[in-house]
Amino acid sequence: MSDDLSQVKLPDDDGRVPVRLDVNGRARTLRVHPTQTLLDALREQLRLHGARSGCGVGMCGACTVIIDEQAVSGCLTMAALCDGRQVRTVEGLEARDGTLSPVPEAFLRHRAFQCSYCTSGFVLALEALLAADPEPDEAAVREAFSGHICRCGSYSRIMAAAREVAGIGTALDVAAVETRERA
Amino acid sequence: MLDARDRVTGRTPFVINHEVPGMLHCRLVRSTAAHAAVRAVRTAEAAAQRGVVAVVTGADLTARGDMAMLFGPVLLDQPVLAVDVVRYIGEPVAAVVAEDPAAAERAAALVEVDYEHKAAVFDADEAFAPGAPLLFPEAPERDPSFADVTLRADHERNVCNTFTVVRGDVEAGFAAAELVVDDVYESPAAGAVPLETHAVVADARPDRLTVWSSTQTPYITRRQLALMFGLPLNRVRVIVPALGGGFGAKAYATVEPIAAALSRVVGAPVRLHLTREEEFVTMTKHAMRVRLRTGVMRDGRIVAREATAIYNAGAYAVISPRKVMFGAYGLNGPYAIPNVRTEAHAVLTNTPPAGAYRGFAINQCAWAYENQLDEIAERLGLDPVEIRRINLLRDGDEFCTGEKLHHLRFTELLDSAAERIGWGTEDPVQVGDVVRAKGVSCVIEGTITPSTSTAAVRLNPDGSVDVLTSSVEMGQGIRPALAGAVARRLGVDPELVQVSYVDTDLTPYDQQTTASRSMYSMGGATGRAADDVLGQVRELAADLLEADPADVVVTNGRAHVAGIEGDGIPIGDVVARSRVGNVLGEGTLVTEGGLDPFTGQGIGSVHWHQSVGAAEVEVDLATGRVTVLRYAGGVFAGEVIDPVGAQHQCEGCLVFGVGNALLEELVFDQGQLVNGSLADYMVPALEDMPASHDFELVEDREQGDVHGLGEPALPPIAPAIGNAVYRATGVRLHSLPISPEKVLRGLRERRDAARRDETVADETVEVHS
Repeated sequence: MSDDLSQVKLPDDDGRVPVRLDVNGRARTLRVHPTQTLLDALREQLRLHGARSGCGVGMCGACTVIIDEQAVSGCLTMAALCDGRQVRTVEGLEARDGTLSPVPEAFLRHRAFQCSYCTSGFVLALEALLAADPEPDEAAVREAFSGHICRCGSYSRIMAAAREVAGIGTALDVAAVETRERA
Repeated sequence: MLDARDRVTGRTPFVINHEVPGMLHCRLVRSTAAHAAVRAVRTAEAAAQRGVVAVVTGADLTARGDMAMLFGPVLLDQPVLAVDVVRYIGEPVAAVVAEDPAAAERAAALVEVDYEHKAAVFDADEAFAPGAPLLFPEAPERDPSFADVTLRADHERNVCNTFTVVRGDVEAGFAAAELVVDDVYESPAAGAVPLETHAVVADARPDRLTVWSSTQTPYITRRQLALMFGLPLNRVRVIVPALGGGFGAKAYATVEPIAAALSRVVGAPVRLHLTREEEFVTMTKHAMRVRLRTGVMRDGRIVAREATAIYNAGAYAVISPRKVMFGAYGLNGPYAIPNVRTEAHAVLTNTPPAGAYRGFAINQCAWAYENQLDEIAERLGLDPVEIRRINLLRDGDEFCTGEKLHHLRFTELLDSAAERIGWGTEDPVQVGDVVRAKGVSCVIEGTITPSTSTAAVRLNPDGSVDVLTSSVEMGQGIRPALAGAVARRLGVDPELVQVSYVDTDLTPYDQQTTASRSMYSMGGATGRAADDVLGQVRELAADLLEADPADVVVTNGRAHVAGIEGDGIPIGDVVARSRVGNVLGEGTLVTEGGLDPFTGQGIGSVHWHQSVGAAEVEVDLATGRVTVLRYAGGVFAGEVIDPVGAQHQCEGCLVFGVGNALLEELVFDQGQLVNGSLADYMVPALEDMPASHDFELVEDREQGDVHGLGEPALPPIAPAIGNAVYRATGVRLHSLPISPEKVLRGLRERRDAARRDETVADETVEVHS
């Protein structure tokens, strides 16, 4: 994150580095190992379970979080290098009164998930895209999703939710399965 | 929908979220030898690291004498940790238990293992040949709980089971045939790649074992662990929260025996969560090679089929002994063939164990026979749709197992898919270097039979309903589907119905969540449990209404005397006013069946899935790249319970089908997996999916059978794509995946052959002129 070496802290006696983060609008201070990933710190220390490890090499998108408005892979981001950063996870898209922000709300309405292991990643990828470009076209949405895998295969409903929340065209006809009944 | 909010807010309860006080973490040390005697495991340096609690080897576990070292669903052949021998690269040899995962990982790298290498064998045909290195010179013991699997093992040839189907007189059939096509088809090993890798937390106490696991088979896992530790079944508790996908890979015990053994050693709860690299070598899709010989008449009728399939089972049997049954009858395909002899062998090799995988052996079969059928059609000058129409099984036909089949809709499914893809219009169409063409395929698939599901439905005094089931929710949506079905049966709002996650202390027996069986089998059991609730409610309501129970009926969630709906009592109020606390209904669904392993005759499946597919592809002749443009599928569903869930399941099949067809292959070099990472092993992303697709689900509610939809849509996909690629390019590939390299090679060979033909033709002309 920072290229300024003077900003890099050396570990304390227990091998850890203190890190101050703004996580979903809340100031948090963690002590992390220098090689600990942000994903691990969020999951194991802050018990924020929305980001998940899927591949460990930044290919599947399941660990996506937003750092200062950029969607990044939590599994490739060192927690120690996030000092002073603003981190948003999928948990931050739900208000205390339970109100969902538009992206997860659209995913919910379209049932754009199966096992949901990947869902946070898709939601945050779209969230970051919309923050940068409130009126993206379909190509931009597809580009934002290009680093995300849904192995269960919910892509068409994910796209339907995304199109709706991004205001692209008319909402897709979600009844893509035709059923016929015959005696 | 049940828990839908949790699924978009990051709260789905996966095993990896689960923590137990005092929990330790584990990292496995895995074999770097494909087949070797383990001479020494040096653990001292690892054990001395900060944060390390224990370093455990197979020998350490054996020396304790308080647990069985071998497990496996059919054969007790798989060691918890390798004892004297390792049989594949990636096999667990030792385990480091530490205070945090990073400490366990660092220490695991310091464990050194001395191997004395043995001859290894990786290809299943080579392992099957006489004189091959043997993985198990002596037969492993059996677990009697899988007694319905008859073993025809041949340890001299690494065969863990063989299954044969015989119908009619195959020699006579071939003698009568006017054309015989004989070829070899191959499907590679592949990974199921659930995004959540295998995860388990085990807490072993001297007289009690609790396991939180990402398993598709909680009751089989309970049985395996009870057997291993010599505990009564009810002293082993298996809790299964939500799975982040399973697709077969999480069927049968894998990580649970390891974590349970380690927990017992260190006296503390242990979490084991596999890395993606480990996941790839934990359970694979069987590589399969089949020699398929089919005899036809000039009018297109198939009169004989002979097939010998070799399934590469990897180093341990797991469920391969059952898979060969699906793999043998599956080769008949959905056609009325009078003379058949198919045989499938599961052969052990020094590669990671192969297990269940979405489509359970039928993908590999369909790739072969649907590929070949198009070749036959071409040689006979028949249209691919027409040759299928001629041969498709029809109502009342006998399948190769001797079963008379009913409710068959193959022809209309095929006609509809062909129409939707635009079959019969100009095909192929070439613009510049890009060619478009279409292909079709048809598949029959069974579900696991015999099988047993049990369930309980509980009606509360406020009218809310709990469904207690051991069906595993792995994203397929079994919980919302069961909620909907039970709500409909009881006449209550689906929002009032809660469906449990699995806890073997609380939720009744279910055989397994595999084989697309849950909606039929567990749906049947919960339906019966709901009927039991209604029966009890009628009895209770009869007292309250001062009526004869025989006259009391329940409609729209109210109990009333038949014909007098106005005076009814809501069923929740019946519970409250009767002071029974709750009404607990039970339901069981047991299916009977089984096939003779020498003849394949009997009952193979309680009902048969019918599925078709039609694909339109685009092939870039310059690069060999294949793109699936459109896909039209069709499946006989019986009854669709949850339309959105049904769509999800079919689209999930499309992800697997496109992946199998174009991208997915586990590549091994001398037993070493070389692409065991999602940076190297490609699974379909959004851009790999067809621009449009639709699935037609044909219902027949009169017939009453609900068909599971987890798998049926999958097996036709790869052959439909392969057949389309052939029509586009003239390149007929017999092995998956259809990679750009293979397509380009095929195109080059065709060009070279054409050039040779031209040369020969020119020479011929010269001779004659």
